[in-house]
Amino acid sequence: MPPPPQHPGAIPGYGLTPPGEPQARDALRRVFGADRGDGCWDQACRAVGLRSGHVLARPQFETAVRALAGQGGPAATIARSLEIRLRTYDRLAAHAAAAHAGGQA
Amino acid sequence: MSRPDPLYDAGRLAEIADLDLLSDDVDPILRDVAARAASALGLPVSLVSVVLDEALHVAAAHGIDGLWLADTRGHPVEWSFCATSVRTRAPFVVENAETHPDHAANPLVTQDGVRCYAGVPLVSSRGHVLGNLCVVGLEERAFSGEDVALLRELADEAVRRIEARRQG
Repeated sequence: MPPPPQHPGAIPGYGLTPPGEPQARDALRRVFGADRGDGCWDQACRAVGLRSGHVLARPQFETAVRALAGQGGPAATIARSLEIRLRTYDRLAAHAAAAHAGGQA
Repeated sequence: MSRPDPLYDAGRLAEIADLDLLSDDVDPILRDVAARAASALGLPVSLVSVVLDEALHVAAAHGIDGLWLADTRGHPVEWSFCATSVRTRAPFVVENAETHPDHAANPLVTQDGVRCYAGVPLVSSRGHVLGNLCVVGLEERAFSGEDVALLRELADEAVRRIEARRQG
């Protein structure tokens, strides 16, 4: 299976883009409110040696999301949501890339 | 004042985590419930879904082998038919998704061919709607009251199984 694109755009037909730090913060704020939500994300970043607000690379984001899952409770559920959205993006992007490559062959 | 969206209710999301519903492990009893739902209603796909805040997680399923959903074990919540029942606490039936105002533009319909859906909520003993037991088909289909009643019975069985985790 081809790897996901390095600079992801929306997947044709699905309109899906992968989540990143802004989406994680928004999700936490929706559930916990701004202060507590930001606190959860800050804690997750600190736990894995990352600087909140500067989690830009995909591998870093995934690491922070795993740390968020470790907080348990609603934070773990939110982390799972983010993981599913990442996984869905990767799977559909790979399929789109393969279909595009097949069309060019 | 509008009512808060239950998808984002911290208590509901906490219970989902407490009931160990986030795992990729598939409970064979829940898988059996999904299989029986699909068989009883004569449809190819059935899911025991857990509706999170921004995604749907497939706790168990029948008929998704070979589909991308089998790899992802979920999808974005904005594509979810099941999320409606979390908000309404009621069964949700779509007989023709291509003409349904909420789902005609849903990628699951436009890209993946979903045409009919019937789902009933999974309500915990604490009163939270965790997700749905649903059946999905690739052709238009009418659903009777008996169909929904049967899904309700199977959903009750699924909830009993899920609740048993709390005591385990």
